[in-house]
Amino acid sequence: MTTSGIVFNLQRFSLHDGPGIRTTVFLKGCPLNCAWCANPESQSPRPQLMTRDIKCCGCGACAKACPEGAVQLEVGKVRRILWEQCTHCFRCVAACLYGALAAVGQTMTVEAVLDIVKKDQVFYDQSGGGLTLSGGEPLTQPTFARELLKGAKATGLHTVMDTTGHAPPTVLESILPFVDLTLYDIKHLDPQRHRRATGVDNQLILQNLKRTANQTRTWLRIPLLHGYNDTPEHMEGLARLVKELNIEKISLLPYHEGGLSKCRQIGQTPLDFMAQSPSEAHLAHLMEIMTRHGVRAAIGA
Amino acid sequence: MYSKLESNTIRNKLVIKAVRNIRRGGQKEDAEKGMYRPEIKLDLQRSILLTESYRATEGLPMVLRRAKALEHILTRMDIYIQSWERIVGNNVAVPQGLYFGIDMNWRSVRRIVDQPEGRTLLDAEGRRKLDELITYWKGKSMSDIQQQVFTGEVLDYWKMSKGAAGSWSHWSELGIPNYEKVFKVGLRGLIQEAKGRLAEIDHTVPPDYVDQKEFLQALIIALEAVIAYAHRYAHLAEQQAVAAQEPFHKERLETIARICRKVPEHPPQTLAEALQSFFFIHVVRYLEYSTLGIGVRFDKVFGPYYENDLKNGRISREEALTLLQLLWVKFHELGLIYSPTLSAVYGGVASLQAITLGGVDSDGKPVVNEMTYLVLETAERMRTPEPTIAIRYHDRLPRELLAKAVDVIRTGIGYPSFFNDKALLPMLAGWDVPLETARDYAVSGCVYIELPGKNIARRALGGLNLPLALWYALTQGVNTFNGEQVGACTPDPLTFSCLDDLMAAYLTQVRFFTNRLCTIQNISNSLYEKYLPRPFYSALLDGCIESGRDCRKWGYPSTVSDFCVVLGPTNVSDAMAAVGKNVFEDKTVTMAQLLKAMAANWEGHEDVRRRMINAPKYGNDHAYADAIAAQVQHRTAAAIMESKNRFGFPCRGDGSGISATYAAGAIVPATPEGRKSGEPLADATLSPVFGMDQEGPTAVLKSAANISAAKSFNHLLNQKFPPQALSGENKERFIDYLRAWGELGISQIQFNVVDRATLLEAQQQPEKHPDLLVRVAGYSAYFVDLSKGLQDSIIARTEQDFP
Repeated sequence: MTTSGIVFNLQRFSLHDGPGIRTTVFLKGCPLNCAWCANPESQSPRPQLMTRDIKCCGCGACAKACPEGAVQLEVGKVRRILWEQCTHCFRCVAACLYGALAAVGQTMTVEAVLDIVKKDQVFYDQSGGGLTLSGGEPLTQPTFARELLKGAKATGLHTVMDTTGHAPPTVLESILPFVDLTLYDIKHLDPQRHRRATGVDNQLILQNLKRTANQTRTWLRIPLLHGYNDTPEHMEGLARLVKELNIEKISLLPYHEGGLSKCRQIGQTPLDFMAQSPSEAHLAHLMEIMTRHGVRAAIGA
Repeated sequence: MYSKLESNTIRNKLVIKAVRNIRRGGQKEDAEKGMYRPEIKLDLQRSILLTESYRATEGLPMVLRRAKALEHILTRMDIYIQSWERIVGNNVAVPQGLYFGIDMNWRSVRRIVDQPEGRTLLDAEGRRKLDELITYWKGKSMSDIQQQVFTGEVLDYWKMSKGAAGSWSHWSELGIPNYEKVFKVGLRGLIQEAKGRLAEIDHTVPPDYVDQKEFLQALIIALEAVIAYAHRYAHLAEQQAVAAQEPFHKERLETIARICRKVPEHPPQTLAEALQSFFFIHVVRYLEYSTLGIGVRFDKVFGPYYENDLKNGRISREEALTLLQLLWVKFHELGLIYSPTLSAVYGGVASLQAITLGGVDSDGKPVVNEMTYLVLETAERMRTPEPTIAIRYHDRLPRELLAKAVDVIRTGIGYPSFFNDKALLPMLAGWDVPLETARDYAVSGCVYIELPGKNIARRALGGLNLPLALWYALTQGVNTFNGEQVGACTPDPLTFSCLDDLMAAYLTQVRFFTNRLCTIQNISNSLYEKYLPRPFYSALLDGCIESGRDCRKWGYPSTVSDFCVVLGPTNVSDAMAAVGKNVFEDKTVTMAQLLKAMAANWEGHEDVRRRMINAPKYGNDHAYADAIAAQVQHRTAAAIMESKNRFGFPCRGDGSGISATYAAGAIVPATPEGRKSGEPLADATLSPVFGMDQEGPTAVLKSAANISAAKSFNHLLNQKFPPQALSGENKERFIDYLRAWGELGISQIQFNVVDRATLLEAQQQPEKHPDLLVRVAGYSAYFVDLSKGLQDSIIARTEQDFP
């Protein structure tokens, strides 16, 4: 039996998702709904339509192909998608010769994914890289995720999983044996603040972090949002957690606004959240805190 | 000892003579500014002295006339020593001079000085003098002689009047002397050798006795003239030393005088002597005959002198660096003027000078020494357009050396480039070069692969425009704009039933045009032999003195020698893949539709063009496209090799295209991969077509690895990276990437590190930079796809990385 799942991106030559040169496989679907999400197209578990208006020439081939009348044309202008009528059948995508419409998320088998990952073996050999499984949240497709990691290990690849940790402990436990290094995202240590910006509680996440840190090498990844989770107190708390759980490294990832335009491209309105990245000076201050605690820290990786 | 020469001020001494590229756009504005900086002048001294000598030697054998002309120039040309120099000599009489070979072709230079962009090059007196010289050379320059000798079809193809896919030109003739031998015996030793051979032929009296005798006599005249030339510098330095007030300058000039009395006549003992000996030979090589390139394996040849000096306490590391930087300034004083065509091709490069580092010695042991690092550090300090540095890569090069090389690349100067022994040694083996000799290969300019000291006297014979050959395969060889039959008469494309039919027609056109090029080249070589012998250069090569034959009369027995520069093979690959997929497999476009759309330059046929663009493309690690690319490249190379040079060795392709791809694209109508008429071709023989690589830098290498140098020729691959990809933690990954390139056995790679100005331009004109890859926080993205805010932050970050 062939296991398959929904992949929304395969990124070769990834340099910041674990050691070495890697191929990052992004699985679709996420239980969190972070207001600042950099990849909003990753949240829904199903394939969905995404527009690239810069490439649209207004030829109307998409409108002709659409059975729902969900494409509106205006002479001399970029076509408009009536999102509430779109059923994501992707007939418009097939009709578009200009790459102005794309289907985000496609069903792929484990073998098909691994065939692509293995293409860069020579780069992994030189750099100590390998496969990184990311998302979305890879644990939302547990069987697919496990088979991918297992298959990768079987061919001798180094494996990294990038996770929010929001998954049933049994699912996590079934997958960790095939993971060499976990990149574990923490948004906030305070339960209320966590729930406010992500829609879920952080209790499960923090419990799973202990399990993970016990079983694999672990690096923490903190998306830094100014005024939300970049206070010195919060950093102190993270530093203590890193020491307590014997975590190798903490990566501070300053917010970038890449998600905003993508929201529009999938017909969504960005959530009302004043996301800002911390200043260089503030970042330096946060790095100092980590150094003071004897925690290995990096910005952006 | 060099205390007064702060190394950071040496860079101010540079004389930048580079030509702005008048063909690459902005022609009008450039013409108004002038092509050359106002202080740069055309130097007529060599031309005047050459003409005087030619007038005086009419009737003598040509080889003696050439030697006497060189003697006349070297003994009378004005020489100078500037207040900071430690290495002396130049091919022109003033630092701001431009050399030109009136004996080769005076028409293009005459044209340039008459055009607005060349008006500052000569004053009224200079123009009058030039006209006077031209009255002598009319009918006598090589270009004139060719006009007289070529007839019929050959003349047409030589004049490039028909829009053929092969264009012959007097492209750069490079070549690398056997410096190691010259340093071992000195020019005096070579003279003794020539005298020995003269004595020998007096006993044996070979059938070509007279030719040999004249050649050897000429060679001795030339070598003695070079020694006298060095002594003139010694004399000038002695005079200046007497007049010098400061002890520092007195010492500097006395040292110059002592060195110039010794070399190149005698073997050098110190680094300073070796560099001076080398530079005299380099300069005289340019003066004897319009030539280019350096090629010397700098660390292999000069490393031992430096290490010996260090051991004996004769030099410090900083002093050696100063010396190298002063040499770099001298490299820039060598000036050449090109025809407008060649300046478009070379895109502002002065004299195509490259030096080689790394590689292995004749036993296969790695060549890496202190000099390897010194040269890289010199390049980093000087950041000059030339000399470019070629590193011969193999997996035993220390990581430390690669790290240093990456630092230099990161400055954005575009070198060092890397040449892969893993690809090129097997290629040379396939060209019948013995392993020991192959291990000494060097790069003299661009991707010219040469064998130091071997008689590879003439190389590039023109450019083969492959997309144009493909276009002719779709027009039955007819120039559809005027109805002339220009290429081979291949079958009507409407009768093609599979991709192989198109491939066969294309290869027929390649054979047809290569054959025309080679015919011109072979006749030209015969003319060069008769009218432009090179007694001085011959003395520096293995085998000329021994056999008593000028280097023009024979050739190193291998395919290394004659090549044509191949342009646009990846455009042809993509075109073939697009036709294969759309016309023959999916049948979404008919051949008739395609031809009609191309003839209309796609206007009104955008749907057809899109389908051709959307077909699989080379550069994406895509099996279908890559298999076709390999087939196109390997079969094109084989077709080219069916043409032979005068000595029966195959002509071959070569990846030295670079900026020529802009000029070459201008004459190519629309091609099946979706390219519009006049658009540039891919920028190197292994580079994906502009904007068509969508899978990132690892996929490009995987695609390129399908093309074997051994089954084709030495290629070139340009990769573009932002500076931050080579900085901080990314630097180690970049080195890993480079090592993977080595493992994959790709013949060459060079990096364009994109600076802030380019990013700003990409923001303003995204259509010009569709393939610019940047790193965003945790992933990579095409710059033009990013939001304005994100672009701004990347531009800001780039600025930080770019001091």
